[in-house]
Amino acid sequence: MIVVADIVLDKVSKRFPDGTVAVRDVDLEISDGEFVILVGPSGCGKSTTLNMIAGLEDISSGELRIGGERVNDKAPRDRDIAMVFQSYALYPNMTVRENMAFPLRLQKLDRKTVDSKVEEAAKVLELTALLDRKPANLSGGQRQRVAMGRAIVRQPKAFLMDEPLSNLDAKLRVQMRTVVSRLQKRLGTTTVYVTHDQTEAMTLGDRVVIMRGGEVQQVGRPQELYDHPRNLFVAGFIGSPSMNFLHAAVQDGKLRTALGDVPIGDRIRRELEAGDAPRELILGVRPEHFEDAELVDEETRRRGMEFEAPVEIVESMGSDKYVYVAVEGERASAAELEELAADAGAADFTGTGSNLVTRLSAESPVAEGETRRVWFNLEKIHLFDPANGRNLTLHEGRAAGALAN
Amino acid sequence: MATETTTRAKLRWGLLDVIVVVFALIPVLWIASLSFKTPATLTDGKFVPREWTLHNYRTIFETDQFVRALVNSIGIALIATAIAVVLGAMAAYAIARLDFPGKRLLVGVSLLIAMFPQVSLVSPLFEIERQLGLFDTWPGLILPYITFALPLAIYTLSAFFKQIPWDLEKAAKMDGATQGQAFRRVIAPLAAPGLFTTAILVFIFCWNDFLFAITLTSTEQARTVPVALSFFTGESQFEDPTGAICAAAVVITIPIILFVLFFQRRIVSGLTSGAVKG
Repeated sequence: MIVVADIVLDKVSKRFPDGTVAVRDVDLEISDGEFVILVGPSGCGKSTTLNMIAGLEDISSGELRIGGERVNDKAPRDRDIAMVFQSYALYPNMTVRENMAFPLRLQKLDRKTVDSKVEEAAKVLELTALLDRKPANLSGGQRQRVAMGRAIVRQPKAFLMDEPLSNLDAKLRVQMRTVVSRLQKRLGTTTVYVTHDQTEAMTLGDRVVIMRGGEVQQVGRPQELYDHPRNLFVAGFIGSPSMNFLHAAVQDGKLRTALGDVPIGDRIRRELEAGDAPRELILGVRPEHFEDAELVDEETRRRGMEFEAPVEIVESMGSDKYVYVAVEGERASAAELEELAADAGAADFTGTGSNLVTRLSAESPVAEGETRRVWFNLEKIHLFDPANGRNLTLHEGRAAGALAN
Repeated sequence: MATETTTRAKLRWGLLDVIVVVFALIPVLWIASLSFKTPATLTDGKFVPREWTLHNYRTIFETDQFVRALVNSIGIALIATAIAVVLGAMAAYAIARLDFPGKRLLVGVSLLIAMFPQVSLVSPLFEIERQLGLFDTWPGLILPYITFALPLAIYTLSAFFKQIPWDLEKAAKMDGATQGQAFRRVIAPLAAPGLFTTAILVFIFCWNDFLFAITLTSTEQARTVPVALSFFTGESQFEDPTGAICAAAVVITIPIILFVLFFQRRIVSGLTSGAVKG
């Protein structure tokens, strides 16, 4: 039997009785078998969206279709979707076997079918040895696997996962990430996965949906979001270490920044000549688009520009070096950046002046305390309008840097 | 130094515990001792009986009065407990989980009932029950017991329900359970320690009641043990039935002890451990 399990959200909104809007007009089409990640800072509405798909929250307006059928008013049990909770939510009074059998028992399947399905799921998740234990006697990772087992055992139309890995320690999380990924590929079941961890979002999903304040910011493949962020929020949210942001003033056809005067191409110039164009911009550069000026060959050098700055910290990662340099001048400021800082827990830890994180080649002889000449790629920089966060360098969905004609 | 303080602290607490236990147990042991004494040695002031006898026990079980009262007590207390716990569980679940209009009012009213002086209700209840034909019947006692036990049940149970992670219920719903199935198969088993605790408290309340039992009964038909005890008389007007009363008192504490011991094993704390988080 082929179950078509595409999930369509059509202008779905959630308003709470007290008037707050948790989710606003979310449009999203998740095709059959796709692995989609909802990501965003806490309070962005990602969990509420997931709960609406699950049927645990009512949909205030809009339509939700699963497999082409409107399910707005259907109870969770009639939607045929399974959910994995952040807290695992295992039934503590039941053994692992009973936990996994629970959804099947409710379907009134006969004992033999139930047993064979549970055994099979247990084998996939390597839980066979643990089947007769109670959840209390399991480690965090094992509980997590049981929770997944309970979800896969009845072969639902779709999986919903609400931050399933966030209670695990860092090492286990990386390991479980591959388990989830492999499982999803193997089963080919439509999956919606909520997380606040952008690394999980980048590594797991076919597509990533970035949310902020109940609204979808951008939907796309991870690489696309990374290379062509539609706005300041997406640019700052995706990437670790995150993109560097600098204040840039438009003056005499150039951008005056702490890194020197940045030339701009015709396309950006035309944008900036419009009547309501901003006079101040935010310049964004990813850490890997910097390089030690000594190591850049002539041809590459022409595509970027150089500046000198004192080196504060060098973190050698082996494959490359994270170099923190200090630059003078005004900090970039925008609501989005403050929100991102708050989400990272660094709102009150910003210091003065600007600090750039650069990723230089491992061969760079850079040392802490010296002043270093650093090159950066002008074709890869982004310019944002601080008023609305729009990426000005984006044309037809592609970022083209500042020099594009 | 540190160990010295802890040993001393342990000693001090141990001593305090002994005092409390002795204080609480001496009257009980005294009654037990009296119940085994012969009428002649009843007033000798000795803690351990000089002459042991089971005569008192034989006497009370020979009188139909006491046995009948015991049956009434057990039946009425068990039925009232069962109904109060079931109703209380449903109400407490709603209070712990849902935000329905009038929730605060419901909680307030149930608190009010718990605080209401029962003495002031006795005469109206007497009149009402006589009119309704409930006077001197089992339901005539079961009903007021449920009324006054329910607030107690609701309060204890809602505290227990609040401890159960809500995610479990959501998980049950996602697994395909109806609201009722989620409650019966997931929530209720986890609330079991709370249910048993509540059952014990309610049972003791019903078992020990004297006020309603003496006002709302008149014959052996529904008279409970605490009341029957007060009607004990000696064989003649001049004989004091102290020994028999003591024996009866010992007998009626036994069901309570059994009840507590039986359910205590089910009150396993930490039953929800392992449900959530790692």
